[in-house]
Amino acid sequence: MTLIELGLYFALLSLLTFGGLSSVIPDMQRYVVDVKGWTTAADFMHLFAVAQAAPGPNVLFASLIGYRVAGIAGSLVALLGLCVPAAALTWVVSSLWERFRDSPWRGVIRRALAPLVVGLTFAAAYTIATPHTPDWRLWLIALATAAGTLRTRVSPLWLLAGGAVLGALLL
Amino acid sequence: MTAVSQTDSTRRVSTPPHTLGELFLGFLSIGARSFGGVLPSAHYVMVEQRRWLTQEDFMETIGLCQVLPGPNIGNAAILLGKRWHGLRGAIVAFLGLFALPYLWVLALALLYTRSAGSPLVSAVVTGVGASGAGLFTATAVKLGRPIVRKPAAVALIAGCFVAVAIGRVPLLVVMPLAVIVGVYCARTRML
Repeated sequence: MTLIELGLYFALLSLLTFGGLSSVIPDMQRYVVDVKGWTTAADFMHLFAVAQAAPGPNVLFASLIGYRVAGIAGSLVALLGLCVPAAALTWVVSSLWERFRDSPWRGVIRRALAPLVVGLTFAAAYTIATPHTPDWRLWLIALATAAGTLRTRVSPLWLLAGGAVLGALLL
Repeated sequence: MTAVSQTDSTRRVSTPPHTLGELFLGFLSIGARSFGGVLPSAHYVMVEQRRWLTQEDFMETIGLCQVLPGPNIGNAAILLGKRWHGLRGAIVAFLGLFALPYLWVLALALLYTRSAGSPLVSAVVTGVGASGAGLFTATAVKLGRPIVRKPAAVALIAGCFVAVAIGRVPLLVVMPLAVIVGVYCARTRML
């Protein structure tokens, strides 16, 4: 039963994943932690951190949630749920896209989606950095990483390592 | 995301993978080397190393994947696999991309689960999580910069943020409404 719920939820989410996984992270937390109680908010954040430390598309985070909920089967169901509907849509649209090469709708869709992706990505950052009540130490680590990304050319892996060190010192 | 180097735009000759095995190994290598972001490693393997795609092709493909829902590189695997070897190609490219990172992330999760309970591990992992939130913040700032002068864009950014992060409204409600407003604003040149 849990496996079906998990698959259906991620399949639904798949079609809302504009601009990458970040857009749907707040809703994942709402559903997995608040509605279903499958993990705690702290565990959700920790699994997100584990996914950050792995190579590959960050949708693998979904497979960790699935793993926590229903083991290996859960991890595959969550990952495929999140990927397959979007992949099917890509399959269909790829031929249409060529046909509409010069259509003004391409620009309209691009401009319409941009602010949504920005707003939802900020929401993802807030949700991850605020598992419970606001904690200045977590926000400080997040802001330091953001500044490091925007102001320097340091690899994101080093910035995550910096986050690990700050975590050990501050928390 | 690392900027894609422009010197490659002069390379116009490309040879797509001939066999499914070649396609699989190429995407396997993209997955394996993609620490800290998949886009740079996808560019390296497909444009620079194996010359499957020209720079223009690569940018066009990624551009399409970015307006579709789903993981961008996952969608690119589907698109390119389909273009080169049909349905079997799409499946093979997708499996190649995810195989190694999937095993890696599961192994890490097992390690983490074993050491959970240690306050130091918990602090370190929480720090990495907060840092990951910082990477998202930076992405949002970069994407937001070009549109921040448009009041409609700022209103939509703020509306989505407040509804989803603070109001905890389901995305299934927020997304359709925001898309309708976004398309209306884009068509009337407010975006």
